[in-house]
Amino acid sequence: MNCEKCQDLISDFLDGSISHQDKTTLSSHLEECLHCAEVRDDLQSIVGFCRTQRGQYASPPNEKALWLRIRNMIEAGASVAASAPATTRKSFLNNWTARSWELSFPQLAAMVAAIVLIVSLSTAVGLRRWQSGGAVDAKFQTGQNSLSVGATDVRKRVSQQQQLISYWNQRVEYNKARWNPQMRETFDRNLAVIDQAVNDSFDSLSKNPQDEVSEEMLNTALNEKLSLLKEFAEL
Amino acid sequence: MIGILPTLTETSRTSLLRKPALFAFVLVFAALSVSSVFAQQHLSKRYPVRSNVRVELKNISGTITVESWNRDEVKLSATMESPAANVSPRQTGDGLIVDVMADNRGRSDIGDVNFKLQVPVNSSVDLETKRGQITVSNIRGGLVRAHVSSEGDIELNGISASQVFAQNLIGNIFFDGEFSRGGTYQFQSGKGEITIRIPSDSAFSLVAATPTRRIALGPFWNDGLKSLGDGRKYTGDVGDGRSSVMVTTFQGSITFIRK
Repeated sequence: MNCEKCQDLISDFLDGSISHQDKTTLSSHLEECLHCAEVRDDLQSIVGFCRTQRGQYASPPNEKALWLRIRNMIEAGASVAASAPATTRKSFLNNWTARSWELSFPQLAAMVAAIVLIVSLSTAVGLRRWQSGGAVDAKFQTGQNSLSVGATDVRKRVSQQQQLISYWNQRVEYNKARWNPQMRETFDRNLAVIDQAVNDSFDSLSKNPQDEVSEEMLNTALNEKLSLLKEFAEL
Repeated sequence: MIGILPTLTETSRTSLLRKPALFAFVLVFAALSVSSVFAQQHLSKRYPVRSNVRVELKNISGTITVESWNRDEVKLSATMESPAANVSPRQTGDGLIVDVMADNRGRSDIGDVNFKLQVPVNSSVDLETKRGQITVSNIRGGLVRAHVSSEGDIELNGISASQVFAQNLIGNIFFDGEFSRGGTYQFQSGKGEITIRIPSDSAFSLVAATPTRRIALGPFWNDGLKSLGDGRKYTGDVGDGRSSVMVTTFQGSITFIRK
């Protein structure tokens, strides 16, 4: 699920009027996407506020004057917006149609050459993209999709993950004092297992930066760490 | 000083035995104190449901055992260790939801809750716990999901669901069942052995990975399978690859066994 679709569904999700399948997909996206989770939290606070107020809001002083000002501003804005593009469009069209299109032979030849060049380039780029897209799909289907090659990509992605991890780590540390000792021990033991997996993957990648299996393991381990922190942050 | 101590103990014991009423009171008080410390609470409820009900259970700590039976009802039994958690199951349109996490929000020191669920054979079960073993037996519904956020074994026996997800961090995963055509099966552990026991004619598309290189495909090995990263990962089809199977463990082995 992408962020756009997710944000379309958040409102229904908060109302509880979402299908179970969408709920599952949305929840997993919200676990992974901090931005969407923030949108959800914001909307939840707004809805919560509205529910507690139940439509009872304090009126601003001189309410009528305020509404009048707002209406005037909207009307003024609308008239400006309506007039401006029409003028621009008209002048541009007038210029275009009124222009003389008599071309000399060299100008015509250059124009044809330019068109041929642009069409060839765009066809080549399109074909290349289509082929590489197909390759990605094929990779995905054979289960080798988790990480793309390229050490820079890995570093960038790891750095993004690390930011999220440190955010959730702070939340865990904040709540950890309230847990019973057994739960704290369990958490620490499990975090150590994940950290070991992350370190092992890093070690393998430092020896062979093109090692796709290690990249995949690293990605899975980081996701696992994130999800462990999130799960325990809510305790 | 050393000579005096046994004398004093002897004296007090003798005086206590001479007063039976006082002795009995002390015994009863001690028994009550011990029982209140180790007190357990039990909950048992039955819910009439349709045969393909969906049961969602989110526990914090404790075991979860799910078994099937030939009745269109769910029986939920829970044993709550002290300090006892609140458990308030909710029946919804399509099933039953038990959310210990939500029922005890703000409480940080609740004891383990051990659940036993008896559900119709065609149920879907979605089970989560932060810590504790999950055992599911003889379910033939749409979904079996067992998620242990930290440590706890997962044992799935006699499963014939079209979607199976089993995930833990420390602990073994055992699956005994069948892969349905078009089904999805994912098993992931951080540190644990994953064993999959399936019929010999099973057909599936496999992605199996572990950095330990301990992947034993047994009778399901074929030349079409591709080894990647010096045997740390295998991909390819077994049979016509009609279901999708993904198995990952960071520190452990992956073993396929024929039924």
